[in-house]
Amino acid sequence: MFDVNWRGLLLPLAYLAVLVGTFMTFSTVYRKRKAMQSANLAPWFGPHLQRNIYLSLLHMEPEEGSEKAPKVPDSVIRAALLRRAVEDIHRIIQIRTAKAACSSLLQRGSVGDDLWQRFQRAEKEMEEELRDVVMEANALVPGWGQIIFQSANEIAANKALRDRLEEIEAQTERDKEWWEKRRASIKREFMKELDEESSEKAQVKAGSEDEPVLVDTDTPSATPSGASKKKKGKK
Amino acid sequence: MSTDLETFDFIPLQIDPKSKAISAAPPQQASSSKALETELAALNALHKSLHSLEAPHLVPPPPVPVNPKRSANLNKLRESGNAEYRKQRYAEAVKFYTLGLQMALTRPHWEPSQLVREEVHALYSNRAQAHMQLGNWPEAAVDAEASVEAKRQGNAKAWFRRGRCLVEMGRLAEAREWVARGLEFEGEEKELIELLKEIDGKMEEEKGKRDA
Repeated sequence: MFDVNWRGLLLPLAYLAVLVGTFMTFSTVYRKRKAMQSANLAPWFGPHLQRNIYLSLLHMEPEEGSEKAPKVPDSVIRAALLRRAVEDIHRIIQIRTAKAACSSLLQRGSVGDDLWQRFQRAEKEMEEELRDVVMEANALVPGWGQIIFQSANEIAANKALRDRLEEIEAQTERDKEWWEKRRASIKREFMKELDEESSEKAQVKAGSEDEPVLVDTDTPSATPSGASKKKKGKK
Repeated sequence: MSTDLETFDFIPLQIDPKSKAISAAPPQQASSSKALETELAALNALHKSLHSLEAPHLVPPPPVPVNPKRSANLNKLRESGNAEYRKQRYAEAVKFYTLGLQMALTRPHWEPSQLVREEVHALYSNRAQAHMQLGNWPEAAVDAEASVEAKRQGNAKAWFRRGRCLVEMGRLAEAREWVARGLEFEGEEKELIELLKEIDGKMEEEKGKRDA
């Protein structure tokens, strides 16, 4: 009764073996490829220069000839950590602004899945980076971790404001030059007009030369502005 | 690229034993990127400014409360500027405002940027007004723009002053655009609306002249 017909079963067994084998190879290959892909995804941010500098300062190598590594003063280390925190602030702002745009684009299917993966990875890395900076800050000066990012935030904002103001102030020279030229050309035209006028009635008026100078020190559109200028002066 | 948290790219750096300034190490110096150089410059500047901290602080204190000393000095400078202005000595007023601006802008960067904006917008706006009295339209226009940059809303005077300067320089199209933008920020501000009307009138006039 239990006489199994091994020969008859050979074919189905072989079939099963092939099936399972195919599945297994497929799944391993697929998973490996997937892992490779996500590992190869370009990072969201470029290299973190400030972080590299900070860590390089902590691991200074001895100079040639001397045994000991040069001693980096703590104040420099603190400044480097603060610079690192400032860069982190820039990155946090970038991530926050990108998040809403990214998720809505993903929902609409306008961007691929890998962009979203890159983004999420950047977010996670950022969190760890912040934690790391807080820990380092606390290690350098007790209690600094609570305020380092407040300071960094102000530094970033102040830098942006001052850059903008400098940019605006840089226009002054150019504008001044332009205005000088323009004023000169207006003056010339004015003189020409006056010359024409005066040549028409040259015999009537002789001493009209000093009048245009007076008018020129004022503005090209001097006529209507005179009243308003007085009004402004009282403010 | 250092995506890992465990690793970092080592940058060969060196430190000047006297000034403690950090710079790229010699073999790299030639090839060192511009980004690295500017970053190191920023680092050294920050390091130097950290030295200005008063004794008990090793690191910048929290942004608030602010050390009141600088604010008091600033106010004094602005008041003297205003006094000179009232006496119609505009060039002196400009000098005081400029000093005040220097003091406001050299405030340590970790102090609240909002405070800097408040202080700076008033000083720029006042200096613009003094420049206008002197007939220095380009300087006044730039100052008023800077004032607006520091504070966009609730700064109608600065919007108006730049608009006026642009008109005085004959840059009507620019002035019109500027005043229209100012109205967006300030709502129905009487002075601005009047200026806009004036600009429109002048533009019409010029058009008429060109057509004639």
